[in-house]
Amino acid sequence: MRGWTRPVAALGLATALLAVAACGRDAEGAQDEGPGTAVSDGPATGEINIWAMGAEGEKLSALVDGFTKDNPGATVKVTPIPWDGAHDKISTAIAGGETPDVALIGTTWMGEFARTGGLDPTPENLIKPADFYPGAWDTTVVNGTSYGVPWYVETRLFYVNSDVARKAGVDTPPSSWEELKAAITAMQDKGGADWGVSLQPGKTGSWQSVLPFVWQNGGAIQRDDGSFAFDTPEATAALEYYKSFFTEKLSPADLPQGALEPDFVKGKIGSFISGPWHIGILKEQGFEGKYEVWNMPTKVSGTSFVGGGDLAVFKDAKNRDGAWKFVSYLSRPDVQATWFQTIGDLPAVKSAWEDPALKADPMLAAFGTQLNDAKSPPTIATWDQIAAGFDDLMEQLVKTDMTAAEMAKSAQEQATSIGTGG
Amino acid sequence: MTARPQDAALRRGRRAARLRRAVTGWGFVSPFTILFAVFMAGPVLISLAMSFTDMRSADVRDPLGVNFVGLDQYAKVFGDPLFLKASGNTAFFVLVGVPLTMAAGLAVALGLNSGLTRFKTVFRVGYYLPVVTSIVAVSVVWRFLLQPDTGLVNGLLGLVGVDGPNWLDDENLSLPSLVVMAAWRNLGFQMVIFLAGLQAIPANLYEAARLDGASRRQQFRHVTLPMLRPTMLFVAVITTISYLQFFEESYVMTQGGPLNSTLSVSFHVFKQFGFGNYGYASAMSYVLFVAIVALSLLWFRLLKRKDQ
Repeated sequence: MRGWTRPVAALGLATALLAVAACGRDAEGAQDEGPGTAVSDGPATGEINIWAMGAEGEKLSALVDGFTKDNPGATVKVTPIPWDGAHDKISTAIAGGETPDVALIGTTWMGEFARTGGLDPTPENLIKPADFYPGAWDTTVVNGTSYGVPWYVETRLFYVNSDVARKAGVDTPPSSWEELKAAITAMQDKGGADWGVSLQPGKTGSWQSVLPFVWQNGGAIQRDDGSFAFDTPEATAALEYYKSFFTEKLSPADLPQGALEPDFVKGKIGSFISGPWHIGILKEQGFEGKYEVWNMPTKVSGTSFVGGGDLAVFKDAKNRDGAWKFVSYLSRPDVQATWFQTIGDLPAVKSAWEDPALKADPMLAAFGTQLNDAKSPPTIATWDQIAAGFDDLMEQLVKTDMTAAEMAKSAQEQATSIGTGG
Repeated sequence: MTARPQDAALRRGRRAARLRRAVTGWGFVSPFTILFAVFMAGPVLISLAMSFTDMRSADVRDPLGVNFVGLDQYAKVFGDPLFLKASGNTAFFVLVGVPLTMAAGLAVALGLNSGLTRFKTVFRVGYYLPVVTSIVAVSVVWRFLLQPDTGLVNGLLGLVGVDGPNWLDDENLSLPSLVVMAAWRNLGFQMVIFLAGLQAIPANLYEAARLDGASRRQQFRHVTLPMLRPTMLFVAVITTISYLQFFEESYVMTQGGPLNSTLSVSFHVFKQFGFGNYGYASAMSYVLFVAIVALSLLWFRLLKRKDQ
């Protein structure tokens, strides 16, 4: 008996201590920090540490020379980190107060990180919101305060096999939901495709293909009062429309991994929705010039999804002013255009699209047009979880006999019970 | 009342010696004790404490500024349909996987122990190889094998005229597919342990049984199995513990899908941590921990030697 009492007592004590110490949350609720303090004039000095993920992290050094030429007193140290685990690494850094000065932040993480209080509000004297695509700028705004700058963007369009479309007699991109359905049906019936389209059948990230239809129908994720709006008639009708592609056997529901691109190239799949990275993937498959892209069809609007990466400066940054100056440099139209030429990231700054390299390419121009009508999910701390639940329900919607109304109701209940995370 | 001064000095001397011994002892164990306290016991206690709070990832800068919510998180665990689904999947994985793996492991061990003498080492290495191979590599290869159109499994089925299903994308087949893969992967470990157990059975027991006219089947039933009891207990406990925490298989191969049919409890906990629900995820981990302890105790009870 004696052997047991001590650990149990210690455990009880620890719990009790915590209960006492945890005297509860401050009752501030949603706070609006207001814009960040102004950044000093003059060139940047000192070392600026930046973390960036993926290809951005590997190639960012290419832009550093241009910055240090104007700011000879500054050095920029880029640390590439892998996307896997980047979220945890940043959140650990914020918890420990050992952050870099700047980091690339996935757009859907902004809500969560801003709420930790670890991000520095964007200074108004350096960054002008109107320079950026509005949907992209929205990803930085949490509770009315902006905590970063959109660095690059991506949006979703329809990729269409030209050969199949021609055989189906589809000469112009469909402009309405009815035309889209008719075009896809024709590609399957007359164009020789096994599937007119491949829409994502639920699973991770499918909300990015589904929510555009909700937005196109005038629906929203949240109402103005902050409550969720998954069960509105607009959203339900959009889900119904999405599901109809599966019930009418126009889209496969269980395409094996890695089959999309080969089947698209072979003309077995007529079209699919994806972002700009597929330009590169299709080029690798030797399919350049044999496909076209369509902007989203218009119902009430022709909205698509906008994602990408934001740059944020941390409150614990050792070189805050230098960090913001570097961010502002990366947002210069000419630097954004250079960056596009370096790794193909689409510029978040509107005027950068005037660059000949972007303007001349009709494929890219379509993305540029779409970005003017593209939305991002709300910057709430729980968005990742709500989105994952939504993806689960999407899978049920397309694979089982669940109706759109049932799905909308479940999505609404799920989101409401998860909440917005304060 | 007449305490002699020598006595006091003696006592003081003894106390000093005891103190010195204690200091020396603690000095020797301190490398482990400190590491254990800081990196094991500390975090474990903190996560336990965390499970009684509403801590989320947004609280990392101010971890004490959270609310104490008592058993709310635990109550929420049992009302979470996904957790219940994941528990069902995990239970299936354990209930089917553990007996399957043990039967396969024992069968291979028996084969290697008696019949095969020529290529014993080759077989032993062959069966053990999956155990030491990275689970991620194994999963990726199996994903290729199980591909519906181009996979080897359906290719073989096609030879005998069977149109193979889409194994990993069928709600009813995905979890069994993972169980079979796990059994294949883990039977090597069990084989080694069972082989050791079999070789520890004295040969004279079999000799006596044969003299009494016992058939091979009777020998297995009445000599081998009872003598293997402790080995089986060990194997059962180890396998149950690892299967209760199955994670990588579904993480790499199916991401928990389709329709959450391969979502395990560990995977669900992992996802909740990812969503930043630290309090909730900790509570769920402790529920899993209690289940592991309970099942292990159950095994001890079931396979306890009768004479003890």
